[in-house]
Amino acid sequence: MLTYIIRRLLLMFPTLLGMTIITFSVMAMSPGGLMAIVNTRTGAADPRSRAAMRAFYERKYGLDKPLPVQYLMWLNGVSPVGIKNAGAGWPLNWRVGFKPPDLGESIIAHQSVLEMVEESLPITLLLNIITIPVIMALSVWSGVQAARKRGGLADVGGGMFLLGLWSVPQIWAGVMLVGYLGNKEWLHWFPTAGLHDVQADQFNFLPTLGFAGGVHFERGWLLDTAWHLVLPIICFSYAGFAFTSKLTRGAMLENIAADYIRTARAKGLPEGVVLYRHVLRNGLLPLITSCASLLPSLIGGSIIVENIFALPGMGRLGVQAALQKDPQMVMSLTLVASILTLISFLITDIAYAMADPRVSFEANPT
Amino acid sequence: MTSPAETLEMSQATDAVGEGAPRNYWRQVLHDTVAPRAARFGIGWIAIVAVAGVFAPLLANTMPILAKIDGRISSPMARALTVPDITLLVLVGWSLVRLVRRCAFGRWMLEMLILTAVMIPLAILFAHPPDVVDWPHYRNLDRQGEVQWKVMAPIPYSPYDFQRDIPDAALQPPTRQHLLGTDAIGGDVCSRMIHACRVDLSIGLIATGIAVVIGVAIGGLMGYFAGWVDLLGMRLIEIFESIPTLFLLVTFVAFFPPNLYMIMAIIGLTTWTSEARFIRAEFLRLRKQDFVQAAISQGLPLTSVLFRHMLPNGIYPILITSSFGIASAILSESTLSFLGIGLSRDPSWGALLEQALGAGGTFVWWIALFPGLAIFLTVFGYNLVGEAMRDALDPKLRT
Repeated sequence: MLTYIIRRLLLMFPTLLGMTIITFSVMAMSPGGLMAIVNTRTGAADPRSRAAMRAFYERKYGLDKPLPVQYLMWLNGVSPVGIKNAGAGWPLNWRVGFKPPDLGESIIAHQSVLEMVEESLPITLLLNIITIPVIMALSVWSGVQAARKRGGLADVGGGMFLLGLWSVPQIWAGVMLVGYLGNKEWLHWFPTAGLHDVQADQFNFLPTLGFAGGVHFERGWLLDTAWHLVLPIICFSYAGFAFTSKLTRGAMLENIAADYIRTARAKGLPEGVVLYRHVLRNGLLPLITSCASLLPSLIGGSIIVENIFALPGMGRLGVQAALQKDPQMVMSLTLVASILTLISFLITDIAYAMADPRVSFEANPT
Repeated sequence: MTSPAETLEMSQATDAVGEGAPRNYWRQVLHDTVAPRAARFGIGWIAIVAVAGVFAPLLANTMPILAKIDGRISSPMARALTVPDITLLVLVGWSLVRLVRRCAFGRWMLEMLILTAVMIPLAILFAHPPDVVDWPHYRNLDRQGEVQWKVMAPIPYSPYDFQRDIPDAALQPPTRQHLLGTDAIGGDVCSRMIHACRVDLSIGLIATGIAVVIGVAIGGLMGYFAGWVDLLGMRLIEIFESIPTLFLLVTFVAFFPPNLYMIMAIIGLTTWTSEARFIRAEFLRLRKQDFVQAAISQGLPLTSVLFRHMLPNGIYPILITSSFGIASAILSESTLSFLGIGLSRDPSWGALLEQALGAGGTFVWWIALFPGLAIFLTVFGYNLVGEAMRDALDPKLRT
């Protein structure tokens, strides 16, 4: 197991390198290249200051140097281990060692990329952290239901329903939710955008219900946030729910026919114990495996959901950075998104090995 | 369900999946794929979308199909046909002929290739669609009474006809004139949706085609050689699987001018891994089997062993993954268009859907409902077909 994890961690480096190299070459090969992007930013200035800015960017990002050198400069800046004083004297005065990673600065916002990521990453993580347990709980419930009422209408129609739910495009679901449930001309039950109310700062953390002296109700900050999160979470979770619960149902139905379940029933165990202890334990495995494909799709889905519901998370930041052609932002966000994906894969693998004692990641003789 | 004799025959057939697999096994699989009602629904909807895509210029067009103007009979529609329009129409027309006068599948494919190769240069030579079209022209002629008679398309609006001559054309709710309403700049939603069929279907097919070619090549080599080739290939697959595809697509499309073919290529280049995994597993199983060994021992070249002897046995799992792959490629394209970084000019379901949540917090229900429904049904259709194929091939479900 340990060797497997180490191998997995080592494999992360070529993946991250590959991903950032691809992104870098995309930007470098785009019409005009990286310099054109800087030029458009400095377009409004007078010639002298434009030349000065040009020189500044050239020095900062090494834009006058060949592309591989530019990439390596970025890599050196990002990596926590590297050359500490790359600018000073070649290569005799270089000091190699640990240093704080520097993600650069956004050309558009003139703000440290690290700060912007720190602001937006928690929102994306929050969405994921709420969504995954919701998906898991619903899938387990649906699997148990399928096993309980085998062959019934709910079981037969359920498979088709879940496939249909899985096929609903997230963009459509988001638009319909915002439109029908959020728009002020329709039901207007939920807010359509953002994470907090405009006056959220003045709300108490928890809802205050003063029934004693006059009716006094103030939405709490937490309640307000939860209210804002309802639609995004629905839009974020239904596809994953459909996907995993289809798998769980299959696994449950496969297990319920097994001999050890008959034994458990023959022992006189109550149905609940049979279902939750014996069937579910084995039915959980595909649920865990499906997590591996679920998490990257959630990271991709955050792009869609955050854009529809105007949540200031990583996905929205990423699309904006790409649209504004902000090289430093795009590179850093690509890096962060890739790292998140890889970490989620790793967690899934570990969980899988922990849940199933038969799994071994040691070398396979075949 | 089936008689014992049939079951026996089928089980023998299943055992003998290989070079000389009896034909009726595949017949059976094909039958099981098409039999469920859900799969038929999926195939039916995809067929409707395909027909709408091919015949789009005849179905939704501002220009009359035939008209008598100033005593001269002409077809303004035909004069405005573009190169893809003509090629598609000829190809589909010839296929219809072949439906009546049957021929071998291989010959039909060959004819299609030859026709494509001949038609594209011919169409480029002879088709001269005007660069700038004066869309209200024919409506104006009609108003001035210069048109004696005309045959119009069922939906008399082109996707790029934003009805500049008609006041308040934008954001009209569905009426008899505009069956599905109009969009934010006055385009007919129904017409744009019909013309978008072609874009969305072709993105799905071509992107998945690229993915299948790459997946089969890499997965096939991995499965055939096993050993360190397999090890290296698996690492490559793992790397590609951890790429956040949508993120990469967004970057690509934002930095380059939007281009349909590039979107297809990127989707294909990043999604070949599941095909490769399937083919690899299949080839690992097949490589030690007698017919493969026999083919190798006869000294056949590698391409022949791989593609003529082994590949036909692994083609069905590929069809399953590509059916799901087409669905996800269509989703990717509509997502890009929805985010406003896909095709900006060409009609696309995703780009239409984007207009549903207009500025100022308005919600245009007809733009939200119909294009979204079209994306959903197409994705659902492909998923249904994929699911039916998977069920048809699953021996556990065979009774």
